[in-house]
Amino acid sequence: MKNKYVFGGFIIVIFLGLMAYLFTQSNIQYQDDFVQVMGTSKTVKATGSWVKEKKYQIDNVNKTFTFFLVDDKGNEMKVVYDGTIPNNFESAVSVVVTGKYIDGYFHARDILTKCPSKYENQQVQTSTM
Amino acid sequence: MIGSIILVLALACSTMAMVMYYLNFRGYKNTLNYGRISYHSMAMLVIVASTFLWYALLTHQYEYKYVFSYSNNSLTTGFLLASFWGGQEGSFMLWLLITSIIGIFLQSYTSKRDDLEPRVMTVFTLATTFLLLMVSPWFKNPFEFIWATPVFIDLKSINPDHLGLPFLKSFLFTDPNGGNSFIQANTELKNLLAGSGISFNQFIVDGRGLNPQLLNFWMQIHPPILFTGFGMTTVPFAFALAALMKNEYRDWIRQAFPWLLAGTGILGLGIMLGGYWAYEMLGWGGYWAWDPVENSSLIPWIVGLAGIHTLLVQRKSQNKGGIGKFAKTNLILCIFTYILVLYSTFLTRSGVLGDASVHSFVDPGMTVYLFLILFIGTFLLLGLGSIAYRWKSLTDEATGEESLLSRELALFTASVVLIASAIIVLVGTSAPLFGQSVDTFFYNEMQLPIAIIIGFLNGLSLLIKWKHTDKKDIIRKSIPSVTTAFVFTIALVLFGGVHDIILILLAFSMAFALIVNAEIAIKIIKGNRKMLGAYVAHIGIAVFILGVIGSSAYSRQVDVDLIKNETTTAFGYDMTFTGWTPIDNNTKYSFNIDVKKGDSEFKVKPVMYFSDFNNSLMRIPAILTLPTQDFYVSPVGYDEGTSNSNKNSKSISLKKGESTEFNGAQITFTSFNLGAETMAAMQEGRDFQMGAVFKLEKNGNEKDFELFRKSVGGKVEFTSFASEELDINIGLVSLSAGNIEITLSKLSDKSDDPSNHTKQEILSVSASVKPFISFVWIGIVVMVFGFFISMTRRLQESMKK
Repeated sequence: MKNKYVFGGFIIVIFLGLMAYLFTQSNIQYQDDFVQVMGTSKTVKATGSWVKEKKYQIDNVNKTFTFFLVDDKGNEMKVVYDGTIPNNFESAVSVVVTGKYIDGYFHARDILTKCPSKYENQQVQTSTM
Repeated sequence: MIGSIILVLALACSTMAMVMYYLNFRGYKNTLNYGRISYHSMAMLVIVASTFLWYALLTHQYEYKYVFSYSNNSLTTGFLLASFWGGQEGSFMLWLLITSIIGIFLQSYTSKRDDLEPRVMTVFTLATTFLLLMVSPWFKNPFEFIWATPVFIDLKSINPDHLGLPFLKSFLFTDPNGGNSFIQANTELKNLLAGSGISFNQFIVDGRGLNPQLLNFWMQIHPPILFTGFGMTTVPFAFALAALMKNEYRDWIRQAFPWLLAGTGILGLGIMLGGYWAYEMLGWGGYWAWDPVENSSLIPWIVGLAGIHTLLVQRKSQNKGGIGKFAKTNLILCIFTYILVLYSTFLTRSGVLGDASVHSFVDPGMTVYLFLILFIGTFLLLGLGSIAYRWKSLTDEATGEESLLSRELALFTASVVLIASAIIVLVGTSAPLFGQSVDTFFYNEMQLPIAIIIGFLNGLSLLIKWKHTDKKDIIRKSIPSVTTAFVFTIALVLFGGVHDIILILLAFSMAFALIVNAEIAIKIIKGNRKMLGAYVAHIGIAVFILGVIGSSAYSRQVDVDLIKNETTTAFGYDMTFTGWTPIDNNTKYSFNIDVKKGDSEFKVKPVMYFSDFNNSLMRIPAILTLPTQDFYVSPVGYDEGTSNSNKNSKSISLKKGESTEFNGAQITFTSFNLGAETMAAMQEGRDFQMGAVFKLEKNGNEKDFELFRKSVGGKVEFTSFASEELDINIGLVSLSAGNIEITLSKLSDKSDDPSNHTKQEILSVSASVKPFISFVWIGIVVMVFGFFISMTRRLQESMKK
């Protein structure tokens, strides 16, 4: 019985310690205020919506995809992603980008597009013309 | 209506079965038959309701919101059947259907084994009752009518014969962004239509369709298999609680064992099929992204694996009499396997992970959220409460002391390591609940040392005997396998280019596990083949992890532009883009690439198409599978080489009254031009046009002109205006309420460079090589096969005393 606890306890302590350490190392916070995003040098997940009026650009030479995001308070931020436009980008209701803000724009290494139409009904704003 | 009624009846039967079985457990002898009848009626009703849903999908009954939302006329029969689980309501329905069918087998199984049936079935019917509540008309009912909650229906989906109905006007809405018009379906509209003698099935002639990413063969079989795995985890939970009810902890182990083995095997297969779908369909080149949805089904699977190991120890140690070792651990693990399945459902269906997952399940509403919490809460309280209640008698019966070098301890350690692995995934996946999130390296760095330990333990535990082993004996027995594994690893370092120390260790431990298992398996194959299960499963795991090392750590990727008929080389593959061909009735485009590797020639055909369903460009990769590696070609973009010649164009959006300057001219957007005629045409679905009036001004010269958005036969066209004199071309791009967008360019730009006219078609692709990725799939299939061999053996044992 004693062996069991010594062995198990040892493993648990080591792994919990390692996990806590790696958790703090790999932790990424969600941030929906772009003023905060621009103010930190840490990697964050910035949530906003695509500014449709400012068209996105696909640079085929440098393989970058550039667009503008706006947060709830109306702060706009330029985002550059090393890669191509993700599927569903045009119809996304909100976009989550992971990366850092350096030298005047957000360097995204990951883009997540949220599309309500995927599993649920597409909400349409009601306004008659 | 019929579907909902059937489901409510099934709910009543399920509750009835639960009560009758419980009464039987409490000593009322004559209620057992009522319990059985109620359970079978429930299962039949669920099968009938599911058949009805399939029938509604196949016959396009768009009056059901679910049918309208997840299917359309163009789906083939296979996909129509698969659209059953295209949405939340249907996936709960599928879970319920499979669980009900499992219950039929479980009832027959338990009725043949002592007094198991009333206890197990009481717990099991509690689970079916909750699932039935979930699909009942109060929560996520797949038979909800389209008018029950207001739904916007695209004009395209509406029968053109009925568009002239005068009252439709008050249900017409227009999306200010896209300019599309919709009809809002609600009870009022239903009544008005009924008044004109039109049913909703006649009114709506097409549905929204299935998400194009789900239009894949694997999506037709992955959800049923995954839910079979989910459903089967209910069984060990029910057995554990049944044991706690009777306060007897010996027999349930051998009775639950085959179910746990089969359930874990099927769940593992289901998870990996999801990975294979991602690999084949999503085009990012991998099969596992540590996405919350993937993780959440992985957690119960790992806990189930841990349970298998400790159940084995308890079963073995029962030979000495008593209940055996780890009785509490096994109860807790079997309970948590199911709780974690429920937790997985909560994470993916309640909307809490909205920002964290590509599987963006939208918030289903507060009632469903609370119901899911109630669901988990009930089972968690029931499970942990029963254990707490029986704690004293469980502790009294606990037995055993074993030496450090016993197989019991090795198996227990394996369990602990697996649980540690599950906790890591659980912590990372749950982090978004607290506004946190972890990078994927969190999982990778944590799981690598665990995988190394698993490999060593896996091999070592088989060399150790039950109870006690002599140290010298182990060293002597392990020399051949350690040496072989060592040689293999050295070869991998020298010839395979593996230099990372962690990966070298992992490869070594897996090779060791593989060899020890293979050695034993070869010995057994001549003898009793029923005993092979564990070894086969462990060989599978080792092969799988070797495949993971090869395909992820040594995958290389490059983005290349393929100019038509010119050859580009990447990783030793010569690629020549030869043009595209339309496929699937001109809805998709297949891009033909000739690939040459050495003397062998292949053709790969990545596909791109525009999907109306989510208004996006979809890209499907092409995979060339060779014996040692996959060559993975994912399309990125296609350039016909005609439109990009004009670099000086400018696009701008204007509100009414605003103006902009281009090439020295002032352009003002003065007003919209929408006649009464336009409005009427819009509502009746006829062709119509909307105009925007502009004023062009340069050096005091003014000129008015108008641009149009024309809707012709359901297609939208825009006009443009050109002035030679001012050297300007103005094109309308979009027009919606209050806002328009135009592009401005110089006419002279178009003709300045004749070289622009020679078309140069370019296909941009992302090409990658994935060494030994086939080991990943082979490993899993071998592992699942091993689970089933073990299951047949344990099934025979379950009858014995």
